[in-house]
Amino acid sequence: MDQLVILLLALPLLAGLVNQLFSKTLGYASAKLSVSAAVVTFGVALLLLIKMFSSDNTAQVMLADSWGILLADPLSSLMAVLITGISLIVRIYSVRYMIEEAGYGRFFMLLDFMTASLLLMVTSGDLITLVIAWHLVGVVLYFLLGFDTKSPVASRYALWTLITYRIGDMAMVIAAVLLFHAFGTWSLTEIFAQITENPGQHHYFGMPVEEVVGLLLALAAFARSAQLFLHTWLPYTMDGPSPVSALMHAGIVNAGGFLINRFAPIFVQTESVMHLLFAVGLATAIVGSVLMLTQNDIKKALGYSTMGQMGFMIMECGVGAFSLAIYHLIAHGLFKGTLFLAAGSVINEARQHDGVPKQDLYTFVVERRSAKRRQPWLVMAGITLAVPIIILFMAHWLVAQDFFQKQGAIVLLFFGWITGAQLLFNTYRMDVQNVWRLVGMIIFSFALVILGYVLISHAFDLFLYPDPAFRSEIYTAAHINVFWFDVLVVLTTAIIVAGWVLTYYSEQNRLKGGEQFNRLWLSFYAMVSREFYLPDLYAWLTRVLLKASARLNVLLRWR
Amino acid sequence: MSEIMLIIAGLFLPLFPMSMVFNGLFSRLGSPLLRIVLLLAWPLIGVAIVSSVGIEIPDWIMVWALLTAILYGFRALVLREVSLWAAFIATSLWAVLWLVIDSNEAGFSLLAFFALGFSVPLALLVLLSGELEKRFGAAYTGLYNGMAQSLPRLSWVIVIVVLAIIATPTFPAFSAVMTAMLNIAHGSLTMALMLAVAWFIWGWAGARLIQGLLIGEEREAAVADMSSGKSWAYAAALVALIYYGVCMMGGLT
Repeated sequence: MDQLVILLLALPLLAGLVNQLFSKTLGYASAKLSVSAAVVTFGVALLLLIKMFSSDNTAQVMLADSWGILLADPLSSLMAVLITGISLIVRIYSVRYMIEEAGYGRFFMLLDFMTASLLLMVTSGDLITLVIAWHLVGVVLYFLLGFDTKSPVASRYALWTLITYRIGDMAMVIAAVLLFHAFGTWSLTEIFAQITENPGQHHYFGMPVEEVVGLLLALAAFARSAQLFLHTWLPYTMDGPSPVSALMHAGIVNAGGFLINRFAPIFVQTESVMHLLFAVGLATAIVGSVLMLTQNDIKKALGYSTMGQMGFMIMECGVGAFSLAIYHLIAHGLFKGTLFLAAGSVINEARQHDGVPKQDLYTFVVERRSAKRRQPWLVMAGITLAVPIIILFMAHWLVAQDFFQKQGAIVLLFFGWITGAQLLFNTYRMDVQNVWRLVGMIIFSFALVILGYVLISHAFDLFLYPDPAFRSEIYTAAHINVFWFDVLVVLTTAIIVAGWVLTYYSEQNRLKGGEQFNRLWLSFYAMVSREFYLPDLYAWLTRVLLKASARLNVLLRWR
Repeated sequence: MSEIMLIIAGLFLPLFPMSMVFNGLFSRLGSPLLRIVLLLAWPLIGVAIVSSVGIEIPDWIMVWALLTAILYGFRALVLREVSLWAAFIATSLWAVLWLVIDSNEAGFSLLAFFALGFSVPLALLVLLSGELEKRFGAAYTGLYNGMAQSLPRLSWVIVIVVLAIIATPTFPAFSAVMTAMLNIAHGSLTMALMLAVAWFIWGWAGARLIQGLLIGEEREAAVADMSSGKSWAYAAALVALIYYGVCMMGGLT
């Protein structure tokens, strides 16, 4: 297994170096070299994962005395397959897509280095290696996003990305140093063993070191995964090549979820960090989704969709569903990568045909024409509220009968229920030939998605965290006081039901001309369309800082 | 007496406003060679003084040094002249050496290695600014855009040298800053945050410099790129720096 881990890192690194040193001689063959290396790397990653399934061991490779440790465990092997798989697809796609671009060889070299950095990040077994890999991913991404050196816009947003990543990098460095001071080693395995044996033993300014480090690591994850207030770089980096967008949205941005899972033994010992993860994730999911709905540029909409999905991923960590977050990031990576790679063709086709199908869904959603004849509301309300919850309970009961004991599972059930109910609520008024067929299909699809999600995430749980006691500890760490939990559930339900009532009321009022509501709605829409003025605020802040820097230089006479 | 010596050392491991002496001297020297000598020798004098004093560095000097590092990094954000940028960033980086000094363990040789780890990439940048002056008459950002397309070799070398300066892993500056962080983080979160701010600003300033030089539409007037031999020489120096940085990371304990 040791040789496989080394090979996994060495192959893309070597391909990148050869591409850089002999780019002129290689010409277009640099793509062939890069793709070949990617195929072999993917094979090695798969082999590593298969080995991990067949033997329950983890392996460590020491490249230096106190650092340079490479770790092969279930999490790293799973992430390695995702990274190598997506980077292989991106390379194959880029062979023709980038053919007319200047710097063809440079592009593949950067892709090789990015793959090597990502693989180093997921296999890091010590804090120094992790810090190095974490930094390098940001640096290589900066050059990939600013690949088109003629475009000042691409370069500007690449800088935004770098700046945001640096905030996370700094948090990560301080966390690493504090852990070293507390436990006297850089090795993650040794640190986790000490924490598990004697939790809360070390303090930093009166707080358990696990709490402080947890907060810092959460900040690093927030910056990398575009959480609220650190998200503005994500939707604006669309001037980079499409394959880079695909790689970024499918792989790099998921690093926050990976980091939280990697440091799970620390997060389970924290008191408030998990709640922070939940709150920030939830806020990001809502804001990201709202912003996505108002975009008229397909790539920017996809960018905000990624932000929303990253919010869900962090929120899942916040409720203790760590392995579900990993499943989520893999699933999201695959579908978002596909969407980005297909975005160009969609835009191209849309320029020739509007592509709008004049069918039931379009007339209902866009033109807002609903059926004249409706089903009995009591029957539909019953189906809307009851069916999703029955499906959700049955699916969860299949894998764990004690899921009622876990607040995290209840929260996820609640969200699942709301989603299912919302779906049915929105569609039963559609003007279709057979409404019962439509409802039946929706329920069937919903059941299929939920069952798949629950079963696969349960399998991930068993693979990533085989110790049932530790699995239970993660959920316990996410628990809050039962009274407040109930209050929050009731409050959220009230808000959602109020939303439904408001929708109904506005529909009615629209017919009578509810101008006041429309004005309010337009103000809200204007704010959303300006992305809550956050990019403007950051741009203004940058201008102020640069002006202050210039004034200071004049004041101090350039000395 | 020893505290007076520390203040004198503040001229060479620059503490504001004594740092203005170095920057004044640097801008007066016209020759790149003299500037390089100054960049290499100046912090070594400071290191020698501090090593000879052999006392623990008081916290107030460390805070002073951190404020100096932030101030000069911040001021470098808007600089357009490449040599002046190098001098300001040198001032900012050298101030961090105060945090690395540990009178019991770090001897002159180790401190000198850290100082050179900061200075050598800066010296390379001064050399590169000479290359720019040779081609364009001046080494300014925003003056000639699109260098990445017209002078790819020179651009590559500039990018990697700037990365080495702003403490990117695995260059020596990264090890030095990590060592500084190790020395201060357990005692003071405020100082750790200040160092993180300085590090953050170096990255920002470095990226602005790269963008100002390399990005944009190519100029029409053709100028010759750096020769292949010269670029290999720079590459060898940078590889040596990486090796040196990796070796220094072994001492992070």
